Amino acid sequence: MSPLVWVGVAEVALRTLAVSASALLLALALGLPLGFLLGRHRFPGRGLLAAVANAGMGLPPVVVGLVVYLVLRRGGPLGSLELLLTPPGMVIAQVLIALPLVVGITLAAVGALPPDWHLQARALGLRGPRALWVLAREIRLGLLAAVIVALGGIISEVGAVQMVGGNLEGQTRMLTTGILMYTQMGRFEDALALAAVLMGMTFVLAGTLTAIQQARRA
Amino acid sequence: MRDATRVAVLALLVAGCGAGEEPAAAAIDVATTTSTRDSGLFDELLPAFRGATGIEVRLVVVGSGAALRMGADGDVDVLVTHAPEGELELVRAGKLVDRRPFMENHFVLVGPGDDPAGIRDLPASAAFARLAERNVHYASRADDSGTHRREQALLREVGLDPEAGWPAVLRTGAGMGQTLQVAGERRAYALTDIGTFERFRTRVDLEALSPPDASLRNLYSVLRPNPDRYPPDHLDVEGALALADFLLSPATQARIAAFGKNPSGRPLFAPLFAPGSEP
Amino acid sequence: MSDGAPLLAARDLEVAFGRGPDGFRLRVDELELRAGQALAVLGPNGAGKSTLLRTLAGLLPPGPRGAVRSPGRDVALVFQRPVLLAGNVAYNAELPLWARGVPRAERRRRARVALEEFGIGALARRSAQTLSGGEGRRLALARAFVTEPDVLLLDEPFDDLDDPGREALSLDLRRAIDERGIAVAMVTHDLRQALLLADRIAVLRAGRLVQVGARDEVLRSPADPGVARLVGMTNLLAAEVTQADGGRLRLRLANGRVLSAAGRAAPGAPVWVGVRPENVRLEPARGDLASSDERAEVVRLVSDGVVATAWLAWDGVELRTHLVAGRGLGQALKPGAPVAISIRAEDVHVMPRGQNASEK
Repeated sequence: MSPLVWVGVAEVALRTLAVSASALLLALALGLPLGFLLGRHRFPGRGLLAAVANAGMGLPPVVVGLVVYLVLRRGGPLGSLELLLTPPGMVIAQVLIALPLVVGITLAAVGALPPDWHLQARALGLRGPRALWVLAREIRLGLLAAVIVALGGIISEVGAVQMVGGNLEGQTRMLTTGILMYTQMGRFEDALALAAVLMGMTFVLAGTLTAIQQARRA
Repeated sequence: MRDATRVAVLALLVAGCGAGEEPAAAAIDVATTTSTRDSGLFDELLPAFRGATGIEVRLVVVGSGAALRMGADGDVDVLVTHAPEGELELVRAGKLVDRRPFMENHFVLVGPGDDPAGIRDLPASAAFARLAERNVHYASRADDSGTHRREQALLREVGLDPEAGWPAVLRTGAGMGQTLQVAGERRAYALTDIGTFERFRTRVDLEALSPPDASLRNLYSVLRPNPDRYPPDHLDVEGALALADFLLSPATQARIAAFGKNPSGRPLFAPLFAPGSEP
Repeated sequence: MSDGAPLLAARDLEVAFGRGPDGFRLRVDELELRAGQALAVLGPNGAGKSTLLRTLAGLLPPGPRGAVRSPGRDVALVFQRPVLLAGNVAYNAELPLWARGVPRAERRRRARVALEEFGIGALARRSAQTLSGGEGRRLALARAFVTEPDVLLLDEPFDDLDDPGREALSLDLRRAIDERGIAVAMVTHDLRQALLLADRIAVLRAGRLVQVGARDEVLRSPADPGVARLVGMTNLLAAEVTQADGGRLRLRLANGRVLSAAGRAAPGAPVWVGVRPENVRLEPARGDLASSDERAEVVRLVSDGVVATAWLAWDGVELRTHLVAGRGLGQALKPGAPVAISIRAEDVHVMPRGQNASEK
């Protein structure tokens, strides 16, 4: 393949990384506090929220894509933001896919602690940020799992980003939507090139995170 | 003993399946393009074909480029495409045979109703030249489909680089329907087959802007892979011929002429052989 | 350090605990933990002992009118099932210091001292998750000691410890109480350790403090049969006052036998009589006692090699007594043997008997 083609592949790969990383960071920023809150405190509506998070873990990405598409389209409730067919629009869809995963896994990890864990932490004098730090350290395997699952869920996702991003060349084309497109066009070499990059990326990311996880366990 | 039982059960199953249908159930794989599927034409024709021949059709719906490639590789028994240049090229190469044009319609340039580039009623090539000159959004399928190939041919005609287009071109790499939706969302222009546009015009805020002219003619042909290139049983030649004959038969041609007449009275497709005349 | 000054004072506590229909409310009007003293909190399961400790530690709200005051004092609580955090032993021991912003070098030094004190200095680099039950308990205690708290609250601190470990912990606690004048409150079901260490005893039942007092006083004069049983006064006999005369009572037991006791009660009043097992004295029965009030028969004899417990049938009433195992009577007695018993009047504790369900 010509160097020019690889430039195109790199451009798509970088966009995929940027969009997925932004979505992951946003999902973590929103999901970790929510997961902590739901796992730690009892308040009215908590059960409902936890159920929503758990149900959301199995949410089909295409459904997320459909809803985001309808909301963002011209004439949709948020159409005036003109986010459809843009990378920020894809980030929104991916955050919605990843958020329930982050919340659900964090919630489960916090919930797996002994019931009086937080009381004991307080008895040791831990308050505020220091208490949160120790808690995070305590459930770090669960948190890493949340990161791995969320990243895996969004980087290899195709339905929602296709619908919301539109696979526009040079603007919203992702590795997955590119693979889909090239396959439909019968350009299997190009599809394979993107697939190889996607696989490599997933392997390196998942491998790195797994290595961290295993090292911590040891 | 167990094998004997199995054979007996299989025989019963086969007999049971075949009992109601005559001739015995057969199926052919047909590659066709999104525009054909999206227009709904096949939904209308295929039941009649099955009724007449007893042959099931499995539709593989892809862009023209992929359809041609599947045909050239012998992955399907028949293909129905609308990319004359590509078709003829593969026929010349001996990979496809028996190309039979059977219907046509027009491509149409569509865009926002207020037509910011002012291309209404311009001939297609002049319209493309102006779109490039004004650098307005234009949604290109960029998927090597028949529509995409026609767009490239038109660009070439006015001296534009068919790959590069102009900066504001949006390349969707998607089917016609999705490309029209992108055009609607982005208030962009697009080249579309009339059939798909008729289906989508109520859902996207776009209007047909170009008058039909010869350069926008969209010719549909039925072709099949060259059977000499494959082992005897690789392709269902009989089924393929049956479909081609069916598509060109007076009854089917009449059906095509009547299909999809919209309120304005324009049919979606025009049969190449007037009903009643011999092909 | 004025001995006996209250380091922590609680009053009007009202804390819900337990769940569902079995839930109770802890109500404590007043409780003080004093410098240089250890308080043992005794009570049946579900009485609210852990809840009391957690409230005293400031971890649970004390209720609408309640207050727990320990101005300027460091209060540490060791839970019944201490959470050891993922990390090594030193990290766990340093954690309370880190939480208080103590500099790193100081943290390490003090953690090392505390770990050495509890005999697990060599385990400092081990993962806390790999410790045995006893080692984990020591770590939890070291982690409580590392801040040199003024008030130490211990929930079943002897759990998981072997006998030498219990002994060592008792000595450590005693030293800290005596030398540093700290206040200790502990919940334990190990009566022996509680009695070894406690200066005072508080008995909690169904969320209420039934009795609070000096150790020996509670041992000698439990408020009711439930308390009596908790503090090892296991011989509880129903009786009736037949005669009351200036602080001296004559009591008739269910079997018709008569005991003398010190105390005040109205003649004819139903009472419980409590006698600690070690205060039932035995002698080998002599022939001429065959029909006397003092004659009883050994029903069962159980020895742990140190102390022998004998169950006696005393004309239809069962009594328990302790003997030194393997010596004298402790060696000579066999089931079926006749013995003569005597109970001194000052060893008989009289408690009112009503219809109260909590008594038995």
